[in-house]
Amino acid sequence: MLSAIRKEFLENRHQLLVVSEDYKVLSSDNTIFNINDGSDITDFHPFFFTVTTLFDEEEASRHFFCVQIDHLGRTRYVDIRTKKDVLEKKIYLFLEDMTEHYKNVHQIKQVRNESIIQFNIVQELNNQLEVQRGFKNKFLANVSHEIRTPLNSIQGFINVLKMSNISKEQLDLVNIIEDSSETLVTILDDLLDISKIEAGRLEIKNRRFDFKSFINVLSKTYALRAEEKRLEFTCELGENIPRFLVGDRLRINQVLINLLENALRYTHKGSIRMNISTDSRNLRRLPITFEIIDTGIGIAPENMDKIFESFTQLEKRGLFGGSGLGLSIVKQLTDLMDSDLEVKSIEGEGSSFMFTITLGVSHDQRSKTQEQVAPLVSLPAEKTKGKKRILYGEDIEVNQLLMTKFFAEHGGYSLDIAKNGEWVIEYLERYPYDLLLLDLTMPVMDGFDAATAIRNHSNKKIQKIPIIALSARTTEEEKMEAKEVGINAYLTKPINQALMFETIERLLNRYKKKN
Amino acid sequence: MSVSKKIVLLGHFGVGKSSLLRRFVENTFSENYTVTIGVHIMKKEIMAEGNNITLIIWDVEGTDDFTKYRPSYLLGASSFIYVFDASRAVTYSDLKYNLGHLKEKYSNVPVHVIGNKVDLVDQDQLIKDLEQQEIEHSYLSSAKTGENVERLFQNVAAQLLKNA
Repeated sequence: MLSAIRKEFLENRHQLLVVSEDYKVLSSDNTIFNINDGSDITDFHPFFFTVTTLFDEEEASRHFFCVQIDHLGRTRYVDIRTKKDVLEKKIYLFLEDMTEHYKNVHQIKQVRNESIIQFNIVQELNNQLEVQRGFKNKFLANVSHEIRTPLNSIQGFINVLKMSNISKEQLDLVNIIEDSSETLVTILDDLLDISKIEAGRLEIKNRRFDFKSFINVLSKTYALRAEEKRLEFTCELGENIPRFLVGDRLRINQVLINLLENALRYTHKGSIRMNISTDSRNLRRLPITFEIIDTGIGIAPENMDKIFESFTQLEKRGLFGGSGLGLSIVKQLTDLMDSDLEVKSIEGEGSSFMFTITLGVSHDQRSKTQEQVAPLVSLPAEKTKGKKRILYGEDIEVNQLLMTKFFAEHGGYSLDIAKNGEWVIEYLERYPYDLLLLDLTMPVMDGFDAATAIRNHSNKKIQKIPIIALSARTTEEEKMEAKEVGINAYLTKPINQALMFETIERLLNRYKKKN
Repeated sequence: MSVSKKIVLLGHFGVGKSSLLRRFVENTFSENYTVTIGVHIMKKEIMAEGNNITLIIWDVEGTDDFTKYRPSYLLGASSFIYVFDASRAVTYSDLKYNLGHLKEKYSNVPVHVIGNKVDLVDQDQLIKDLEQQEIEHSYLSSAKTGENVERLFQNVAAQLLKNA
């Protein structure tokens, strides 16, 4: 009985074939495939070409799993075992039909492989997107540099022009040019911020700051701006908010300025209110809610989703200027500070923007203003000993001219100019200088190479000269690289004249103390 | 003179080994991906260098780890064709490692490296990427368009006859 059942189960799934050394079928039980005795086994299916090599092999038996054999329109998956009989010069082939089993395996592998391939494709697309994003960010950084360089000259000469003998009417015109160039700087800064946020390179830096004074300055500025447009401006600052908080003042300022500028731009009558409050009495961390409410033109409901996209200016709103980057930056910065920006608006009646940022409460609520303000150091006028001698490495003539004007107006230093890094080294070796101002992008030898050469110079005095980089490049990488090559301070073009002389003075004092 | 030679197609799954084989043997192509399990074998008789040669081509189930290939599948091979998917870098990122394994275990078997699915990529960019990764390839092919498929097998056959 058992043997009958066993036979029934196995009979149709197993086949035994005997093949001669010239690949002829000697016998076959034909339970799976019908193979004629005397036929050439290699004609039945290309798998059986394998037997042509088996006689030459050392191994007496082989096992081939899951061989797909298409025969008479049907696909079967068979496991094939071979055994060589050297004396009889025969090969035994034992075929086991595993079609049902392998079909199940096939289904599982089909799903698995398809999902992995899809995952790979998505990864590839993400990589391509990353490359494109990197390209865009690099492009923005380069364009920014290219625009900043001439803008630096424009702003510098506007200052020079304003200080010359010009009429009131001319001064008004120069002020318009100055406003426009400042707008251009703001747009450049916004573009760079967007690219930094997208590249994940913008970090929130939490530091202690005087929150009340910061809000006071901001509200005074916008009260004046609102008055110019005959708008009412009010600022309510919750009395329970401590004076000194810990947060990223720069980025909070950027968010508020963008929102206030937006309110000013789109409000033509009525008022703008800025409310800052907290419900919490926590002594360590305070959720502070900022709300900017205007009575401006408002936003249509269908446009509410679009306002945070870069370069979006709703048709009607676009009439009133702006780069279309402001709200995108606000959204991305509030996201970075773990805050949700809420917008409510009724078209024709006004808008309100609200967000809550959790800020730390400083342990020390005492003012440190007096300690922080460094004593004003008068510029050296030691005529008997001569002026401090500054060397400026710069290839662009208009920048050289601008710097000459700055130094002529200041009068406290003497200035020499070298047109590239090689000349900088040459001048340093020939004449004694007290400080080096260095443009980083120059032909022949750039500022980085020049600084590296200086810091490795055999002359100790040259090696230790204070170096200030002046660059239109604003990325953190550039600043880090400058630091790594031994540059002491980094100023971004357009150069702020006062900041530059302050930095020069600071470095000269530090150098003097050290030596 | 007529000879038969075993060629084995190797590579990750989904790189188009079966499609290359079907394009070469049957001149057909399907966009649908069907997983090969175990081994699927086809043959084609061609003329190369004035001789008839029967190519017995083993299309082996794809894997990213060549050490897992069953030795019985690779047994008696005269040539390996290593196929990668030009549109998925992951299928050639470990190419050097896998080639090293083949060289160690089957030092006498020549390996032809084929970048398939080139119809999906910018070929100039691909060549740059491959150069950057120091990946030497024999052909860039497309089973879909037929680009370089016939040429690939003809050249493999010609080399086999030369070495015979």
